[in-house]
Amino acid sequence: LVQSCGHIIPESPVLALGSNFTALCILNESCLDFGNIYASQIIWKIKNRLVPKEQYREINRTVSSVTFNDTSSLATPLTCNILADGQIEQNIYGITVTVGLAPEKPKNLSCVVHQVSKLTYIMTCTWNPGRHTFLDTQFRLKHSWPEEIFPDCIPKDVNNSCTITDIHFFVNTEIWVEATNALGKAESDPLIVDPIDIVKPLSPQNVSVISGVLPTVLKLSWENWISDTMMTLKFNIRYRIAGDTNWMEVPSEDTASPRTSFSVQGLRPYTEYVFSIRCMKEDGVGYWSDWSEEKTGITTEDQ
Amino acid sequence: LGAGQSIQQTYDLTRYLEHQLRTLAGTYLNYLGPPFNEPDFNPPRLARAERVPSATVDLDLWRGLTGNARLAANYRAYSRLLCYLRVLDGQVGTAELRHRLAHFCASLQGLVLSIGGVMSSLGYPLPAGPAGPPTPPGAPAAPNDFLKKMDDFWLLKELQTWLWRSAKDFNRLKKKVPPAVVTLRLEARGF
Repeated sequence: LVQSCGHIIPESPVLALGSNFTALCILNESCLDFGNIYASQIIWKIKNRLVPKEQYREINRTVSSVTFNDTSSLATPLTCNILADGQIEQNIYGITVTVGLAPEKPKNLSCVVHQVSKLTYIMTCTWNPGRHTFLDTQFRLKHSWPEEIFPDCIPKDVNNSCTITDIHFFVNTEIWVEATNALGKAESDPLIVDPIDIVKPLSPQNVSVISGVLPTVLKLSWENWISDTMMTLKFNIRYRIAGDTNWMEVPSEDTASPRTSFSVQGLRPYTEYVFSIRCMKEDGVGYWSDWSEEKTGITTEDQ
Repeated sequence: LGAGQSIQQTYDLTRYLEHQLRTLAGTYLNYLGPPFNEPDFNPPRLARAERVPSATVDLDLWRGLTGNARLAANYRAYSRLLCYLRVLDGQVGTAELRHRLAHFCASLQGLVLSIGGVMSSLGYPLPAGPAGPPTPPGAPAAPNDFLKKMDDFWLLKELQTWLWRSAKDFNRLKKKVPPAVVTLRLEARGF
């Protein structure tokens, strides 16, 4: 039988796991006469496993149907075959069957704007993609203003995060995730945020420690690599005696305002100290930076 | 957002854009080349430049502006400035400058949106017509390259002046419109 003697509909369906499914195998009239074959002789197979006859139904001379109450038992290929007059079995047609789940609503959407250089910021959003769908499922991170829709962010190699490189501060932005596959689409709840309020700034840079006249004081200086038109900063300063593991921290209220230096007092004379600083938006909205590079300094001798 | 927060956010955006434009304008004027990038270049304002809304205003007049008039003036100005800037954005030769201009245009669109948000939160109607004409009003194209660059120069200059003025506008509004009062007034009107 060189010429195809029939076909199955639907062709290569995508089916929801646990749903029911019916396929039809339709024989060509031409084959009927020539090959002396009828729908009653059709045998359905999954891979090479026979489908129980109770699931077949002869619709008419040329059409046979097969029904599965639960697609979990289905696999690829589903084939329609003929056993004509006791001869060897002939394959009529086969289809691929894909079984999976519609995407769930992505949850726990959260975004952070990372300062990556003096003038460059990226916004990385993460979310819970929901259950495995067994299907090719696309996720897209979307963001917009009432009258402006920005290009979608399409994750690469992952399905639970994406990074946006073009950020606009001081405008409330609606951010959400859309998940799509052959069985449906789902959208996360929207996150409405001003990107300025989710910034994780770079840590203070070029920290230096200078010993002063007093043997119990060391002065720290540093650079803030975020423009004050973006945000003003507050700081945490921690320090420890070199070789010791316990950090002490300057009371946060003492460093709760914009600055580029601070004199740490109450230190031991003639002792080496290690310092580290971090910063965040002055009003406390957003994220702390990482701790800065550690820098050491030695207090002067007590005269 | 309440009116107070909305005004603060718009004020912050204005200062941020002012800061952004400072570096962007410097880069763009270097792109235009001499004499436009020379610090003491201070050409007369040609009639052509009148198309671009001027930020210059009589001080007493400015002081006397109502909140609505002040915001409407800003809204109209940036809507038009945005149109001109978008024309600029499309003609620039270098990809990096084009990207920065496009980013700035989007932020300026955000400013128009924010000003609109402040007006709505204060119960003021938005100026009639779309947020700025889709294309700049029918001014004849510059007859030569020098005048084209002069147009660009004046656009950037006016934009910088507007941003400087707007920061003062919103600073003034911030003081005049304490959040609590505004919310009460809106509720009284059944908003």
